[in-house]
Amino acid sequence: MMNRTLAPETSTITHIDFQSPEIDTLANKVDVYSMRETTDETVRIDFVFDAGSLKTSKIIAQLTGELLFSGSADKSSDEIEEAIDRLGGFTGVEISTERATISAIGLREHIVTIAKTVVDAMINVNFNPKEINQLLQSKKKKMAISLEKVSTQARRAFLSDLFNNSPYGDLTQLEDYDEIDQKDLIEFHKHKYLKGLQYISIVGALNDEDLNAIKELGNQFSKDEVTTIDYDYSYTPNNIHVEKEQALQTAIRVGRVLFNKQHTDFIKFSVVNTILGGYFGSRLMTSIREDKGYTYGIGSGVAQLLETGYFFISTEVGKEFKDLTLEAIKAEITLLQTEEVSETELSLVKNYIIGQILEQSDGAQAMMDRFISVETYGLDFSYYDKFIKEVNEITPKEVKDLANLYLNWEDFTVVSAG
Amino acid sequence: MVEFERFELDNGLRVIFHKDVTTPMAVVNTLFDVGARDESPERTGFAHLFEHLMFGGSVNIPNFDGPLQEAGGSNNAFTSNDITNYYDVVPAQNLETALWLESDRMLSLAFTEKSLEVQRSVVIEEFKQRYLNQPYGDLWLEFRPLAYETHPYRWATIGKNIEHIKEATMDEVKDFFKTHYHPGNAILCIAGNLELEEVKRLVTKWYADIPSKEKKVRNLPQEPKQTEFRTKTIERDVPSDVYTYGFKMVGKGEDGFYEADLISDVLGRGKSSRLYKRLKKELELVTDINAYVMGSTDTGMLMLSVHPSDGATLEQIDTEIWKIIDEMKSTLVEEAELEKIINKVKTTKAFSEQGVLNKSMALAMNELMGDANLINTETELYEKVTVEGIQKYAKEILQKTNCTQLIIKAKKNDE
Repeated sequence: MMNRTLAPETSTITHIDFQSPEIDTLANKVDVYSMRETTDETVRIDFVFDAGSLKTSKIIAQLTGELLFSGSADKSSDEIEEAIDRLGGFTGVEISTERATISAIGLREHIVTIAKTVVDAMINVNFNPKEINQLLQSKKKKMAISLEKVSTQARRAFLSDLFNNSPYGDLTQLEDYDEIDQKDLIEFHKHKYLKGLQYISIVGALNDEDLNAIKELGNQFSKDEVTTIDYDYSYTPNNIHVEKEQALQTAIRVGRVLFNKQHTDFIKFSVVNTILGGYFGSRLMTSIREDKGYTYGIGSGVAQLLETGYFFISTEVGKEFKDLTLEAIKAEITLLQTEEVSETELSLVKNYIIGQILEQSDGAQAMMDRFISVETYGLDFSYYDKFIKEVNEITPKEVKDLANLYLNWEDFTVVSAG
Repeated sequence: MVEFERFELDNGLRVIFHKDVTTPMAVVNTLFDVGARDESPERTGFAHLFEHLMFGGSVNIPNFDGPLQEAGGSNNAFTSNDITNYYDVVPAQNLETALWLESDRMLSLAFTEKSLEVQRSVVIEEFKQRYLNQPYGDLWLEFRPLAYETHPYRWATIGKNIEHIKEATMDEVKDFFKTHYHPGNAILCIAGNLELEEVKRLVTKWYADIPSKEKKVRNLPQEPKQTEFRTKTIERDVPSDVYTYGFKMVGKGEDGFYEADLISDVLGRGKSSRLYKRLKKELELVTDINAYVMGSTDTGMLMLSVHPSDGATLEQIDTEIWKIIDEMKSTLVEEAELEKIINKVKTTKAFSEQGVLNKSMALAMNELMGDANLINTETELYEKVTVEGIQKYAKEILQKTNCTQLIIKAKKNDE
């Protein structure tokens, strides 16, 4: 009879092969990154612009991005959508704080035509007032729904407190949708789209001819200096409660302004974060979900912004468990600061983190994402070698020291909504 | 083309193996042929609660997650009305760890009182978080019993109400395991850069001694044909109204499913669909509208979800929706329009099969539906759909007497 209590041998990962995309630079200085060794017919092309929400006032960036396919002098929005749909194509619009990513998605046989339609629509958009108004109505409705959620309320209160001196904390309000000046959209489009292309990334098995066609599309834009952001990220921690009487659960956000991957402690702090709340077996999940049953889920993380970052703990708990949950979170942090993590737990977390990096690098699109996520911060693939090395080397004492340095309750803003 | 091999153990466990040389990861996907439809009407939400208990330690291994994470892997699971699916993603060299863990919990659980007690409260919090404490979160809790009269699809996977979860006992947990969790009721799919012989050896090593049991014959009350229009209006504390329509249709795998799926695409998938163009862009009666099919195994539903514009009335919107529906029944869809939606289906399918995990889940699900190879032939089945077929099934499905409508009204807060 086999002994089922004994775990099979495992081997640890010591090295991951990262594959860099091909890099071409266009005459207008725009970089084109491509991963063409793929095994299926899918293609995704991202056009990335210096058009994030911080580069203008409030909702102008969001609206400009979402209106890119809303019609031009000679084509209606219906005609543009029809032309893309006919070829089985999809578009994507994602506006982050710093950048706007406009995607053309489809199968290889049609992708060049889809991308041409996308670029033509983007360049010639005329911001028809009727289209603006329809979008405003629909966005306002969606936002009103979202504002009912305690998770949204807590996240908004948390961000506006953490970043009360910078536009990261300046959130869209419902009334912002009431009046928009078409001129603002036109102006933003002119500067941040027509002259704001940062790079193009391509994942899919394009041949040279198709790749050249995409490059030509890139040449229709230009690349001006990026608007730089230089804000004051200092803040004073606060306790905030947003009351929602009939809520059944309370959303909790706890955290502080911290740093992004450019900081020397970022990698090792990631290990501390993982132990605390960064995976299913984390201490917060074990205590607050698996031991006490207060919540369906709890987690922590470091959100990275271009010039800074923030640490957060996030959960939704039964209304009656709010104070108990905050106490339990505090207890877990104190434990990290006072007792060294066991070698067993630390080794599990190290293996888990490196296994995740391997999984997150699986496939051409994933590899492109890894590349972009270092390139954005002026780093290269050697960052991941450093990452694996530092994760493998961190000691229980370092974990404890970092917890003492960065996880002090008095530095935290604590928000509850519900 | 997704290539695969099949083999079966003497205890009835069906195994699918897909070799993928492009990935460093391996997937172990275990599908159990049990879902919320197999629950007693007095104990709804049980299949899903049980899924949580599957992580509470097994007969020989106290902790499921720890060893898998130690091996660099991660895992999760989901329950639907039809199935329960568990998956592990591990670096390929540590495949055996996942097989060790999964086989032990197929053999038997630890069944601790503590685990039951805690997971009961976790699921109750999940119920609140996802269904009660969200705007429109109880939509399906209201819609299902309106649309289904006898079939167990009349309750949602989470259950009819929190009380059913509170009352679950350990004896019921054990009984559920005995009935539904055994090799003959499971499909195991393993994928990664692995060799068939090695996979066979490891699967035999860990699973062959799990006792086989008789597969329970499913005998569900089937839903009778709907013969009257059903509508219900409820008031909720939400910012705006939402209208939901459901038309009964065949289950996945039955004749007419692909036609119905494409009918929903013509009506309301994306910005060039008929409902979107007419009701949103042209008439501005809605801020959003879309159509889709449920894809359930038994009697399914073609759904319309409608977000009315401020000031638009139900009557105006309803009239326009029925105009578009009547047009689908009276006039053949143009070949070009059919080609357009089939092109979208192809793109969606190609993207949905990216990655070794997605492929494994699809292979296991298709095997349960009758043939794992459906993953490779499904596109052809869509391509075989004709404009006449679309019209035929539109006439059959899109009838008023086959329609259920739920109106969620925003409560007016006059203070």
